[in-house]
Amino acid sequence: MSEQNQKQNQNENPSNGFEFVEYSPEAAERIGYSDYSYWKSVFQNFLKKKSAVFMAFVFFALVIFSFIALKIGKYDYSSAQIMSDASLAFTSPNGEFWFGTDNLGRDYWCQVWYAAQISIKLALIVALGECVLGVTIGCIWGYVRSLDRIMTEIYNVINNIPTIIYMTLAALLFGQSFRNMAIAMITVGWLVMARNVRNLVLMYRDREYNLASRCLGTPVWRILVKNIFPYLISVIILRLALSIPQTIALESTLSYLGLGLDVNTPSLGILLRNARNYFLQYPYLLIFPAVIVSLITITFYLVGNAFSDAADPRNHV
Amino acid sequence: MTKYTIKRLLQSLVTVLVVATIVFLLMRMLPTDYYFTEDQVMKLTEEQKNDQLLAAGLLDPIGQQLLRFYGQLLHFDFGVSRRIQTGAPVLKVIGTKFAISMRLGCTALVIALIIGVFLGVMQARHKDRIFDHIGTAYTIFVNAVPPLVSYSLVLAFGAHVLNLPTLYSTRNVGKSSILPIVCLALASIAHYALWTRRYMVDELNKDYIKLARIKGMAFKDIMVKHVLKNAFVPLVQYIPASFLMTISGSLLAERFFSVPGMGPLLTDAITRYDLNVVQTLVIIYAALGVLGVFLGDVLMMLLDPRIKLADKGGSR
Repeated sequence: MSEQNQKQNQNENPSNGFEFVEYSPEAAERIGYSDYSYWKSVFQNFLKKKSAVFMAFVFFALVIFSFIALKIGKYDYSSAQIMSDASLAFTSPNGEFWFGTDNLGRDYWCQVWYAAQISIKLALIVALGECVLGVTIGCIWGYVRSLDRIMTEIYNVINNIPTIIYMTLAALLFGQSFRNMAIAMITVGWLVMARNVRNLVLMYRDREYNLASRCLGTPVWRILVKNIFPYLISVIILRLALSIPQTIALESTLSYLGLGLDVNTPSLGILLRNARNYFLQYPYLLIFPAVIVSLITITFYLVGNAFSDAADPRNHV
Repeated sequence: MTKYTIKRLLQSLVTVLVVATIVFLLMRMLPTDYYFTEDQVMKLTEEQKNDQLLAAGLLDPIGQQLLRFYGQLLHFDFGVSRRIQTGAPVLKVIGTKFAISMRLGCTALVIALIIGVFLGVMQARHKDRIFDHIGTAYTIFVNAVPPLVSYSLVLAFGAHVLNLPTLYSTRNVGKSSILPIVCLALASIAHYALWTRRYMVDELNKDYIKLARIKGMAFKDIMVKHVLKNAFVPLVQYIPASFLMTISGSLLAERFFSVPGMGPLLTDAITRYDLNVVQTLVIIYAALGVLGVFLGDVLMMLLDPRIKLADKGGSR
């Protein structure tokens, strides 16, 4: 038998010998090989959900547009404060005032977009701060056994004092400003995140693979970052998705009560507080801020939920 | 069980005491200028201010003040209000307000429970069909949109379409309570619908349900007799706490509709440096919170005999 014949034989009947094959997903699945990468599958899973991708697009478009809107608006927020002209009060939306004017005759367009921007900025900063503080403390709380009891007691005490006390005291003690508000919110907000993270770390820290890892002498930080952290990501993102609408809600509530940002900064709470008595006659005073802020919070909430589903390694495979 | 209860109550007492102490100390961090009204700050001389503070015992060392505070607590003496209702005992100030908050809150909660659980059951029954999607959209809306915005929308709708009063008034309690109650119920409905649905869907996937269906039990009966009963157990845990917490009122809703209830009292008391009111309120809230959790656990145990509290060792 010649060499050529042998080769032909193998090609016709591959079970007789070895040959090079192209990568094929089905075959890979059958034999359990994968070119798995965590973040790659997160994004793949996320992109599969067309509605979530659309929501993400809307969210980013709104955020970007809030910057453009302030640039293309005919009035600047700072000059709008000065230019309160009673004769222009309650002008309905028109070519000059795109969102109309408020009760003092100030341009509403720049106020609404500025308020949206403030809300987003505050929410993102607070979410980031909460995340860093909460995850760090939560990991330590969950991993170090001897700390658990005392940390739980501390958590109980802080959690039993109404949030509004901290926020009111912070406003009175340190004054009302964007920075103080963000700091005050972070110092209260990390609690929930820390508790969630702690519960998960507690769940995964003694699984066999971690035990094995510890026996092999893996340093603690590596176990936390490489072995446990991927399981946390989905919960952390879910918490962030909730935290951002909550921060915006808390800001608007506090500002409405006069405990938030100072009165001259247009923010959602202050806009609605000013409009409270007028929006029955002039519905546009309610509709513009309500629609824009709701779009921001709802899209972010949905995107966060979808992303958190995608980030859960149990949904990968 | 008795031993467990006593242990748990003692623990709660410590928690409440620690909370009261912390708030006591936090309030002492405020500059004493807040003791006076803006007028007084301008007019009074430093000496007069000092005299008044001295008379009120606010210049004593902090330890001494704290001991005095504990002494008063032992006698259940909560002191008098300074600025909210000058000279009135704190408990009386609270007494006139909490009934209003509780009436609104409890009505809203009962409505929310009925509608929310019903909505959740219907969503679980028609899972992944149009009704389910509408319910989910509602929960997302309520969770994501700031309450200030949704209250404003309710207010605009109620006033425009239904012609309801937009401010609470003592002369027309029934009609003017409708909008605040709707606002309070909005979030609770979403909460109960969401969790009822989730627990029911979890329960529906269990084997005994499959068996019941194979046996030929009617789907409706399975839903009511098995699924709802089992799904309700984890839900029930938070119900006593929710009812107790109606006493504390809702800050935003009550401010928004000018309800003279408990909600805005705490912030008012802090900003007016009415220390006795703040401390009493915080003690009440903390006690209610702790009690609510305890009652929730007891209720859950009564409903589901498999749950034994003592095993948990009060680890919350």
